[in-house]
Amino acid sequence: MELKEIQRLEGHTDRVWSLDWNPATGHAGIPLVFASCSGDKTVRIWEQNLSSGLWACKAVLEETHTRTVRSCAWSPSGKLLATASFDATTAIWENVGGDFECVSTLEGHENEVKSVAWNAAGTLLATCSRDKSVWIWEVLPGNEFECVSVLQGHSQDVKMVKWHPTEDILFSCSYDNNLKVWADEGDSDDWQCIQTLGEPNNGHTSTVWALSFNASGDKMVSCSDDLTLKVWETENTGMQSGGGFAPWRHRCTLTGYHDRTIFSVHWSREGIIASAAADDAIRFFVDDNESQVGGPLYKLLLKKEKGHDMDVNFVQWSPGEKPLLASASDDGTIKVWELIS
Amino acid sequence: MDVLGFAKAMDDLFDSSLNLEDAHYKEGYDEGYSHGLAAGREEARQVGLKVGFEVGEELGFYRGCVDIWSSAIQLDPTCFSPRAKTIIGQMEELIHNYPLMDPENVQVQEIMDSLRLKFKVVCSSLHIKLEYNGYPKSSKEANDIQF
Repeated sequence: MELKEIQRLEGHTDRVWSLDWNPATGHAGIPLVFASCSGDKTVRIWEQNLSSGLWACKAVLEETHTRTVRSCAWSPSGKLLATASFDATTAIWENVGGDFECVSTLEGHENEVKSVAWNAAGTLLATCSRDKSVWIWEVLPGNEFECVSVLQGHSQDVKMVKWHPTEDILFSCSYDNNLKVWADEGDSDDWQCIQTLGEPNNGHTSTVWALSFNASGDKMVSCSDDLTLKVWETENTGMQSGGGFAPWRHRCTLTGYHDRTIFSVHWSREGIIASAAADDAIRFFVDDNESQVGGPLYKLLLKKEKGHDMDVNFVQWSPGEKPLLASASDDGTIKVWELIS
Repeated sequence: MDVLGFAKAMDDLFDSSLNLEDAHYKEGYDEGYSHGLAAGREEARQVGLKVGFEVGEELGFYRGCVDIWSSAIQLDPTCFSPRAKTIIGQMEELIHNYPLMDPENVQVQEIMDSLRLKFKVVCSSLHIKLEYNGYPKSSKEANDIQF
């Protein structure tokens, strides 16, 4: 197993916090596209050249956010890009003939917005902030967005929000060491916290930075400042099928593989978990089919030391037939990798 | 005085010496207690004044906002989205149900928290930021680490 560096992308003039692959690209002749966001207050759009296979920066989204852009997320259709900033706003951008225009600004958070996420259908948006709250927004016609609910529950800075891949259930993780699960309880706008995964549930013992679902949505992996990855599972056959909400429970903890904070984790469709850590390394884990009884259910596949010159803030697998991995770092660069056996 | 009377008088004499420490303790305790009672009452009065003012200020603020918004809706029902109108109605009910004269009521925090969240949703819907000097914030600005 080898992690081959395909390209090193420079351009941002400050640390790159995050990136997001456009889900509507990478197939049927459409070149792969991803967006990256940075401490330099801009968002860059990168597109792959189909013949050379190399990426180039196609657009720079600037002069909108007045502070660091911390997170970005394409809508499921790939038509809109949401960018979350320390300036307490979330901007919505639309590609209008090659130019990206800011078509809406979501305001309301008291301070830095840390993460933004679209639900599977693209009808809801979630944001979270250092103000400890999670906001849910409804996507209305004409690029209008209306706040549906303000959720208070975390006792500290909320680092990330992520929707379940198939259900309209929202997950958040925080500096308060907890993962929280939120759902609309009644028939209209009654969002509540339906589960908290904390220390009593075999949860993390320090800041939880990120979470990611497997392809089928019955497992989730979270990463933390406590130097572990935790895998969670549910028997949920789907709330739509009348199964109701099945609680998540701890499946296993991966300890001893990281000696610095793990900032990001992403589960590929093929079942490979990639992690990004403060020791500049990228690691890969897979199911361990020969695991002993009581032993860890996942094994380390590969560790790429010095993946970057500084902290790796984010990793994400690409869409498309041949999954690539993109990583973003404090060193101001983005790298695109291919995992080869 | 006869012998018994003298012995008793001697006992009393020594009693008060032996119990001197106890007597002084009791005297001091009584004095401290009544001073403490008075000081505590005064301090609690100050706290009550402060908290009462803050609660009144926040509740009054929401009352004022809801009154204006409700008037606007009466003049033009389309000026607010259906969702905003529903939430304003919910705020009206919460304000009405707030146990103003019963600060020990267990619901006071819950109602106020709910009002704060609903207020944020309405402000967001109107694209405005309304607050007053001293409006409760969720986090202290200066000392938090930003990552």
